[in-house]
Amino acid sequence: MDDGYAVELREVTKKFGEVQAVDNVSLQIHDGEFFSLLGPSGCGKTTTLRVIGGFEIPTKGDVLIEGEIQGYKPPFQRPVNTVFQNYALFPHMNVFQNVAFGLQMRKVPKAEIRERVNEALDQVQLLGMGKRKPNQLSGGQQQRIALARALINQPKVLLLDEPLGALDLKLRKAMQLELKALQERVGITFIYVTHDQEEALTMSDRIAVMNFGKVHQIGVPEEIYEKPTNRFVADFIGETNFMSGRISEINPEYVCVMVDETYPVSASPIDGVHVGDTITLAVRPEKLTVSSEKTREVNISGRVEEVIYIGTDIRYVVRVTDNIQLTIREQNSGGLAERRFQPGESVCVGWAKENASLLKE
Amino acid sequence: MADKAFENQTGDYQHRPPRGIRIGRGMLTMHGLMSYVFLYAPILILLVFSFNASRFASGTWRGFTLRWYLELFNNEALGDALKNSLYVGGVSTLLSTIFGTMVALVMERYKFWGKLAFDALLYLPIIIPDIAMAVMLLLFFVLAHMPLGRYTIIISHIAFNISFVAVVVRARLAQFDITLEEAAQDLYANNWQTFRRVTLPLLMPGIMGGALLAFTLSLDDFVITFFTAGVGATTLPLRIYSMVKLGVTPEINALSAVMLVASFILVILSFLIQKGGGTKVDLV
Amino acid sequence: MATSHSRHKWRVLFLIFPSLFWLIVFFLIPLLLVFAISFGQRGTYGGVEWDLTISNYFRFFDPRDPLYLRIFGRTLYIAFITTIVSLLIGYPMAFWIASRPPESRSSLLLLLMVPFWTNFLVRTYAWILILRDQGLINTIWTGTLHGWLISLSQVLPGLPLEGLIHLTTNPLPLFGTDLAIIIGLVYGWLPDMVLPCYAAIERFDFSLVEAAQDLYANRVQAFLRVILPLTLPGIVAGSILVFIPSLGAYITPDLLGGAKSVMIGNVIYSQFMSARDYPFGSAVSFVLMALMLVGTLLYFRLAVDSGKGESDGGQGI
Repeated sequence: MDDGYAVELREVTKKFGEVQAVDNVSLQIHDGEFFSLLGPSGCGKTTTLRVIGGFEIPTKGDVLIEGEIQGYKPPFQRPVNTVFQNYALFPHMNVFQNVAFGLQMRKVPKAEIRERVNEALDQVQLLGMGKRKPNQLSGGQQQRIALARALINQPKVLLLDEPLGALDLKLRKAMQLELKALQERVGITFIYVTHDQEEALTMSDRIAVMNFGKVHQIGVPEEIYEKPTNRFVADFIGETNFMSGRISEINPEYVCVMVDETYPVSASPIDGVHVGDTITLAVRPEKLTVSSEKTREVNISGRVEEVIYIGTDIRYVVRVTDNIQLTIREQNSGGLAERRFQPGESVCVGWAKENASLLKE
Repeated sequence: MADKAFENQTGDYQHRPPRGIRIGRGMLTMHGLMSYVFLYAPILILLVFSFNASRFASGTWRGFTLRWYLELFNNEALGDALKNSLYVGGVSTLLSTIFGTMVALVMERYKFWGKLAFDALLYLPIIIPDIAMAVMLLLFFVLAHMPLGRYTIIISHIAFNISFVAVVVRARLAQFDITLEEAAQDLYANNWQTFRRVTLPLLMPGIMGGALLAFTLSLDDFVITFFTAGVGATTLPLRIYSMVKLGVTPEINALSAVMLVASFILVILSFLIQKGGGTKVDLV
Repeated sequence: MATSHSRHKWRVLFLIFPSLFWLIVFFLIPLLLVFAISFGQRGTYGGVEWDLTISNYFRFFDPRDPLYLRIFGRTLYIAFITTIVSLLIGYPMAFWIASRPPESRSSLLLLLMVPFWTNFLVRTYAWILILRDQGLINTIWTGTLHGWLISLSQVLPGLPLEGLIHLTTNPLPLFGTDLAIIIGLVYGWLPDMVLPCYAAIERFDFSLVEAAQDLYANRVQAFLRVILPLTLPGIVAGSILVFIPSLGAYITPDLLGGAKSVMIGNVIYSQFMSARDYPFGSAVSFVLMALMLVGTLLYFRLAVDSGKGESDGGQGI
């Protein structure tokens, strides 16, 4: 298999009766990649994962693992392992037996099993817990056992279904780092499902953002964040200000958008647009600045409506027109005496042209 | 009225409900307790009288004795009935547990043509009155020229016990955490291995519970057994019935007491076994 | 699960076959047999003559010879009274259990159910011991109570006790009556009433009662207008679960009832065991089964309707 992909989905569709859970999804995941499927609840990310694992068979389309079409192959014939959302540890077996299970099924000799299990337990810092039953472990410990149980089989691809969902915040953050480090160390392809965008941005090499069964955008975290290609991605990840308007001018340097039919704003050019098209300008609050006069590449004026002090940031809500309200985040780099804008003041909101995205929707 | 009730109570305002409610609650508790007394009194009366040293089975108390129990032991006909009961119970329980578990698996896991109709058929033996079922089976055996005896009893018991076992096992299956099976498959266990190493062990308490239930129902069954036993075979309930028809005697008390205690133990065992071994419930 | 469909089919077939076979051969066919025979005629020596006729059903419902109609009526009446009594005892009982702290509740429910699964014949026999003329109640009535009354009248000759003394000379006619049957049936089927009521009461949100009281309802009104309507499904379910088996009772009327307290179950028995009129017996069985089928369908219909609030399984995403 030359430069083939670790996992490839070709136009995969999965319907449950009338419900379209996965809608014509095509993905190519590289070897050794930490790839996340990100989206809100019900967007189809878990179903997509299950299709790869063999727990669901696609209604249409193909799943390839290391270049091989999987077809109807059941999970036990696929070279992938899964970490389940509820861990799915066998309650009637102790930790050792749980971790050893996959090896036993593949008839690995007993001595080797013992060695490898102890090694695996050591790797997740749970050596010595072998005789305990799952219900005697804490949530974090159960999670690590589930991980060990999967990894010990040295799968080509590891599927993780929101594995950190049940952990408290602090533990979750610690585990995120651990998992990422683990993945880099072991070099296995991880396919990771989550609804937590921060988690995805922190850990992933690439992210696929999904909603209603469709993939909206695939890219590295920076791309997804800085250059969302549609409104859903821009809105789901972080915060975004949206301004809709009509394209009034197109030239090689910039595109001019008549925002709310009132304000001309210039933006970086994109393909496939014509004068007269309706379009949305999207820019994130932290890219904006508030000042008394036009200081940036692109400026728009308005009146301060609200000033919210959050400690690390100061947020301004500025009303530009009846339809347009912008939220600006400025870092609180000043001190107590720092002068801030007050509600009612006229201000200029500015940003760099390249920091705004044009979204066709 | 509420005010008057509080005149005499100091500092209790928050905690004591007005007297009216307390009376209501008291009556409810009385009723609850009395209902349990009602449920258990006849059983206890039976037990007590089985030790009564009186020839008259339920007359006045004349002292404690184990005489009637000893007479039970010496009663040969009873010994035969006991053996039959155990044999019939054992065989029918074994088969109905196996069949019932298999059917439970199918009903809870798979879809197939005619499933709804089969589901109804599966529930019918539970709903149908004993006597109707007894009659059906008798007619069948007679018209099919099958001799009535131990085996017709066994056949009849299996006919209703399959459904009971199925209900118990299905309830257990419904709560079963299916991700455990998926995990097993994810770890290279094929369908048979998954069943043997994950599903079956976790299902075992339910299956055992169902089996115990079936055994109890078989031991205790009267009407259906009566019709399908013919002349050849007797079971304990049949013996009790014929003894009762002849007249109330203290031996019947002793025998009944023994049967009661036996069923009691079996039922409690069945509940305990079913409670032990949870699946999803423990991890949450 | 991800298996190809043909393997799926064999597995289903394998798992279902024994039960399917058993239920068809030893249940469905006998059922149909009964139906068929009910149209036959009794042969001279008790066999079946295939002389098809509906006369057996007519005999049962014949207004000119109302024997069987009366028995049918009595069966309905006894089943009905049993249901009412079970309700009056069982609903408050369920209420009480639901008001107990959670730990006690499961033990209480277990205590409730255990007798239910023990030998019905034996438990009914226990009531013979209690109710019959030489039984427990009457021994106290004609013995102890009678004795006390006599002693009392000797100590306090002024008291008008003659009537009571006369009454307690004779045993109370408890045994062999409809009353005895009702007692036996209530005793046997009470748990079937308590459990559904309990389930409904347990689900009930008591803050609704507080809301009602906040809106000036007193306790009786709160009960009648809030608690009762919302626990009604449980009441209905429990009633059906008691009524149906009571219709088909055999052991209870046989042991506790007298010659005059015959129910449908006894008729069926005698047709098969003494009269050997299989066709007629089958017809009667069939009438009974039809009655119970209607009741059961009603139960499922109501159970489904009241359970409509629950969501159907989430869509796998």
